[in-house]
Amino acid sequence: MTELIPLAACVLIAFGIGSNDTSNALGICIGCGVIRLQRAILLFGCFVVLGILLQGQKVMQTVGKNLVDVNLPIMSIALSVSAILIILSNWKKLPLSTHQVIIGSLAGAGVAAGVAVSFLNLLKIVLSWLISPLVAFFTALFLYRAMEKTISKLSLFRIERILRVLLLLSGILISYNTGANELATIVGPAIHSGLMERTPASLIGSLFVFLGAVLLSRRVIETIGKGITTLDPFSGFAAQFGAGICVLFFTFLGMPISTTYCIIGGISGVGMSKGMKTVKMDLIRKIIANWFLAPTLAFLLSYLIMKIIA
Amino acid sequence: MLEKVFFGGKKEQQVTEKIRRHIEILHTAAECFKKALEERDKEQLYCVPDLEREADSIRREIVSAIYEGAFLPYLRSNICRFVEIVEEAFDRLEDAASVLENVGLSLDKEIEEDCITIADKNLKMSEMLLIAFDTLFGKDDLREKTLAIRIYEKQVDEIKVDLIKKMSETEVKNFWHGKMLSDFVSFLTRISDVIEDASDYLHIINISLR
Repeated sequence: MTELIPLAACVLIAFGIGSNDTSNALGICIGCGVIRLQRAILLFGCFVVLGILLQGQKVMQTVGKNLVDVNLPIMSIALSVSAILIILSNWKKLPLSTHQVIIGSLAGAGVAAGVAVSFLNLLKIVLSWLISPLVAFFTALFLYRAMEKTISKLSLFRIERILRVLLLLSGILISYNTGANELATIVGPAIHSGLMERTPASLIGSLFVFLGAVLLSRRVIETIGKGITTLDPFSGFAAQFGAGICVLFFTFLGMPISTTYCIIGGISGVGMSKGMKTVKMDLIRKIIANWFLAPTLAFLLSYLIMKIIA
Repeated sequence: MLEKVFFGGKKEQQVTEKIRRHIEILHTAAECFKKALEERDKEQLYCVPDLEREADSIRREIVSAIYEGAFLPYLRSNICRFVEIVEEAFDRLEDAASVLENVGLSLDKEIEEDCITIADKNLKMSEMLLIAFDTLFGKDDLREKTLAIRIYEKQVDEIKVDLIKKMSETEVKNFWHGKMLSDFVSFLTRISDVIEDASDYLHIINISLR
């Protein structure tokens, strides 16, 4: 019966990823009319499954095995705290990174339970959170400059056509990363605690991401789709694809990192190519504050609850 | 398959063909107007409102196709604005043709020559607008074409100053005759301004995705 708690939390988080992250991946393509909503959701679902099955193993191992010696109570508390924090942050419209919340909760619950917590691995993960937006920043900057020297020289209507294809590729890459990195972070503890086998856990996780996308992503996508008319697709692609490449690189290393923070890094990189003044420093400061707040809050809450229960 | 993916979808091709046709019709209408003015031929003048109606219908088709999903949203509003500006050039040409018909196609000799010169510049500008539009598909420099349009427009402005001076020294039969002549010159010289605006919008469209 107690096994149901972490499973329910996993399902909730996966459902939340589906409802929010479909827009991260394919909102721009839908807004631009590159692909229709239903096809986009189907495509998103397919690449999430591919991502977790082909490349999710390393991130699963980092989160579920190398960081904390996970057991059922730790997982129940960590994932429940994560699910509640993620739902609350969505409700209050505060952007919290799913990765940071889960890693913070697992570490907090692990320390409180007195099990072996690998601080070296925790340090590696925190360092990857620090480095990944910078990598995305430079990748997007390089990509933007390269595009200015190549695609920009073509005729207008050819640029328009190429951008459509590139935006779709970028969306597919982000969808793939959602499976290979984000979903792998959630199901990793469930697999390595012996609660479920890898393949069924991956498929069930993907199913709930897909359900979240089918049932709740429409409104978020419509908002992004309406907002996109004012965006410049040239820089938008450079930022999104730069972030996608960065997440894929860290997935190869087995590091659970946030796509959102990488996209912010990518946008700043493109913005920087047009001058320092185009980057809103106030917003960057708020994001940095949030970056500290999310894992710290998750760590402290899980630590306290674990201490109280234990 | 690759041709379709990288060199344009069906919707976009249809829209660009229609925009091209829209500008071609403007050129034909400007040619009809110039001939009517030169030869004092009423039949030639009637083709201007006919062509305006045809162009109006094409404009509606272009705007509908764009809002049905042709082109990236970032381009759509600028393309629509460009088509509307070209449509405004049709409107002014039709206004000028209508006034010319009302004055019985006869202008005072002092001003007739200048009006024909302006009509000729308008014709050349519409031709240059078509060439400028075609550069959006190739590697030619659009700036050269927009510069040529600006030069034509400046020449029309200079002629306009002389024309107004001549008109102020001309005796008119009555108030309405004077008003119609004044309106005719206003409409005729406005066409070049509108074509210049259209070429500016082409420039905006061209740089908007870079």
